Amino acid sequence: MVDDAAMEGSAITKNPAGGDEDKSSPSHTFERYSLPVRDAPDLHSTPSRFKVSVDRVGLAKLLFKEVFHYRFNMGLVLSRPCIYGVFGGPLGGFAPREHECVGCLRCTIEHPEIVKVEPNPLRWGWGDDFHNPLALDTVDHESRSGSVPVRGQGYRGKFGGAGWDGMWTDMSEIVRPTRDGIHGRESISTLVDLGGSPPLVDPDDLPDTPTLSLPLPTFLDLPPAQSQQIDLPEIWHRAAAMTKGMAFLPVRTVLEKGCPTTHIAPFFSSGEEHLCASFHGTRLVEAESLETALALQRALPQSVVSLRMPYPEDPTELVRLFQKGIRLFHLVADFHGIGPQGRFVLDLIQESHCALVSEGIRDQCSLIGTGGILLAEHTAKAILCGLDAVALDTALSIAIHGRPPGGFGGRDTRYSFPHIPVDWAAQRITNLLSAWRDQLLEIMGAMGLREIRRMRGEMGRALFQSILEKEAFSDIEGFPE
Amino acid sequence: MTLISLKALKHRGNLNKGLRWWPEGNYGDHPALGDARWTPDLIMAGWEMAGTGKPPVAVINHQTGASEGGFDRLTFKEGTQKKKGIIDLSLRLNRREPRLDQMRIGLPWYGGGMSYGSVSDQVMAARALAAKSHKTLTCTGEGGYPPSMIPYADHVITQVATGLFGVSEETIQRAPILEFKYAQGAKPGLGGHLLGDKSTSEVAKMRESVPWVSLFSPFPFHSVYSVEDHRKHIDWLRTVNPDALISVKVSTPSDVDMVAVGSYYAGAHIVHLDGSYGGTGAAPEIAKKNIAMPIELAIPKVHKHLKKEGIRDEITLIASGGIRSAMDIAKSIALGADGVVLGTLDLIALGCTRCSNCERGRGCTFGLTTTDPELSLLVREEWGAERISNLYKALATQLENLLRSHGLSSISELRGRIDLLRYQGGSL
Repeated sequence: MVDDAAMEGSAITKNPAGGDEDKSSPSHTFERYSLPVRDAPDLHSTPSRFKVSVDRVGLAKLLFKEVFHYRFNMGLVLSRPCIYGVFGGPLGGFAPREHECVGCLRCTIEHPEIVKVEPNPLRWGWGDDFHNPLALDTVDHESRSGSVPVRGQGYRGKFGGAGWDGMWTDMSEIVRPTRDGIHGRESISTLVDLGGSPPLVDPDDLPDTPTLSLPLPTFLDLPPAQSQQIDLPEIWHRAAAMTKGMAFLPVRTVLEKGCPTTHIAPFFSSGEEHLCASFHGTRLVEAESLETALALQRALPQSVVSLRMPYPEDPTELVRLFQKGIRLFHLVADFHGIGPQGRFVLDLIQESHCALVSEGIRDQCSLIGTGGILLAEHTAKAILCGLDAVALDTALSIAIHGRPPGGFGGRDTRYSFPHIPVDWAAQRITNLLSAWRDQLLEIMGAMGLREIRRMRGEMGRALFQSILEKEAFSDIEGFPE
Repeated sequence: MTLISLKALKHRGNLNKGLRWWPEGNYGDHPALGDARWTPDLIMAGWEMAGTGKPPVAVINHQTGASEGGFDRLTFKEGTQKKKGIIDLSLRLNRREPRLDQMRIGLPWYGGGMSYGSVSDQVMAARALAAKSHKTLTCTGEGGYPPSMIPYADHVITQVATGLFGVSEETIQRAPILEFKYAQGAKPGLGGHLLGDKSTSEVAKMRESVPWVSLFSPFPFHSVYSVEDHRKHIDWLRTVNPDALISVKVSTPSDVDMVAVGSYYAGAHIVHLDGSYGGTGAAPEIAKKNIAMPIELAIPKVHKHLKKEGIRDEITLIASGGIRSAMDIAKSIALGADGVVLGTLDLIALGCTRCSNCERGRGCTFGLTTTDPELSLLVREEWGAERISNLYKALATQLENLLRSHGLSSISELRGRIDLLRYQGGSL
């Protein structure tokens, strides 16, 4: 086995044939995994969060009155009720700087007859129910700074709700993963192993099943369709390399660009398996259909082969595919996390995981999920429910200012991007993944876990609103049966 | 007077007027105020109560928020009785150790920990003065014991948290109650966090740390691995101050019921559950929504389990984390708590708009969660104490009215009375 500490530092394949091993980080040297975070400011300004309207006549009257009231003490007269600089421009309140407003409302509490502060409909009208303005703001913040969003005061949203909002993660009062905090000398591992593994290991006869180890449980899914000619594949490739992760790209794109596949997983549509000749030693390939996947397994025995498929209506379908030889499933829902029969991925993931558990084959295969993963907490919750890793879709596009003009529809939705430099965009995605990793560490630290592999399918550490409400309120009159 | 003092005077006057005018509705709606948990009505009801000392009249819905769950799904059935006489709102904190004072506080709530550094000295002193006037308590939080609190020592809980900031034998000996903070509801499992900008020279001195450097309280206690270790911790405090009651503040994990039982057997007099939707001076957004359960779900779980274990009447169960109104207090008690802890509501009384910028730069623009020497002048100790005191009076009046209407003569009779509640609306 390859040492975890060494694996932490580098994306190294446990590939019996060697293949694409990352030579830059020898396995005998400990290198702590970290992501190269750097500020990547927004390229265009977003609408301000608030609209500040000032009654200029009223303000002039107030100033005139205060000049005499305070006996020409102009320092006092011009003392503003804002510490954020909204009225700090040369014209003060006559030309408020709305972009500086944080919505504290002190100005309008002090002078309700003169100042009014309202949420800016341009800002709060973004997105849809799932890709809501707060979520988009969060992704923007994370990709801009690479930092975890920290704010004062408590939670501001709904009590719970459908989907991810109806689930909380557990914590422990006394168990801790490390001796000196989640960012201390002992590290919490976010390393995942993907692919097949045998039910029992005979030390004298080690299996040659290829597996893939990545330092983050986060893939970059296929780039979206776009209206312009932004070089998304290059951005994906660059970001995957910076994060030592993997990006899925269409196989023809990979061939056209001729880029190395250390951090790229070529995706083969049905009938494209004949293109695999150039990919011997590639760590991961993905197929659109079972036939293509089996053909790739035969042609590329050293590669992990993933089957991309919709979340199955009947989760035992995964068991049947396992029996046919599939060891890595990439399950896909729509951008909102909705799968077959309009069901959300939270349930679909659990069903898929449990179907494999009940057959005793869960540890012999892996699950990647795409769709409905927009925020860091969604990754943690998806893994708790049973995924090994996630592949991101809309979050990546949002991070680099991509917006679908008609809303976040199906996977054929065309995105609109401003002109974006490749380096900047790769940095934004790297920042996003770094912020998400830090948040994974926070959640794992709270649970007392020091390996993300142990978090997979740990449903005993998941708190579901429906169950807890029943426990708490079922004795109360009016509680629904 | 200096220019800074004059400016503070000017803005204090303006803020006072605004806090009075807004609830009266003279300036229309305020769409930028509030959120699903703390609606504009709930915030303005807090301002109105703090101004008048009476139950809100101007604000229409001062009982529930718009979160569509928890307290906002529960209502009290209409009471038909008119109980006469005095209603007893007092709360006994010591239920297990006759040797010690039973310690009754005048109200079924006390003030939650807010450290020096996360809030100003003036705010701490105002809360302590209000606590004294209502024969209840407030708490130091984890930031030391500022000298301004010493005159109110009989009403101040000393918090012992994981960073042990400002904890000394002297502050332990001074306190009637010692509170072990294992976790905080708003950031369960993450420890405390004071951003560098707020760690001024005075704050750092109190915490025996370096000025302008961010301070993290580790999580969890690095000397507690088990209930036995917890017992050892309690023994340590009781050696230093044998007369103090011990409170254990924990978050709300899935095994919170077992944690409560463990705390009892370790020797605690009070178990304080801090739910996940409570307040904080700074916390990762991911923690506030996603880790541990809201207090509404934890109270019945713990109450029922303590009863099953046969120890319910030997320990005081206190709830906090999102208590916004008199009805939230009553619902908590009806669900099984003995009393509650208030934090954000105290700050609302002082003008907080819950804008969530507590941690930003110089801190709160209303002079609450700040140690900035200029901003903190916006709150005077006496003014703050009067507003919090008014709030407490208004809350008490509403509780008394509720108890009378249900024929109850004391708040302790309300405990566990889920038969008085009704669940409204659907579930998932």
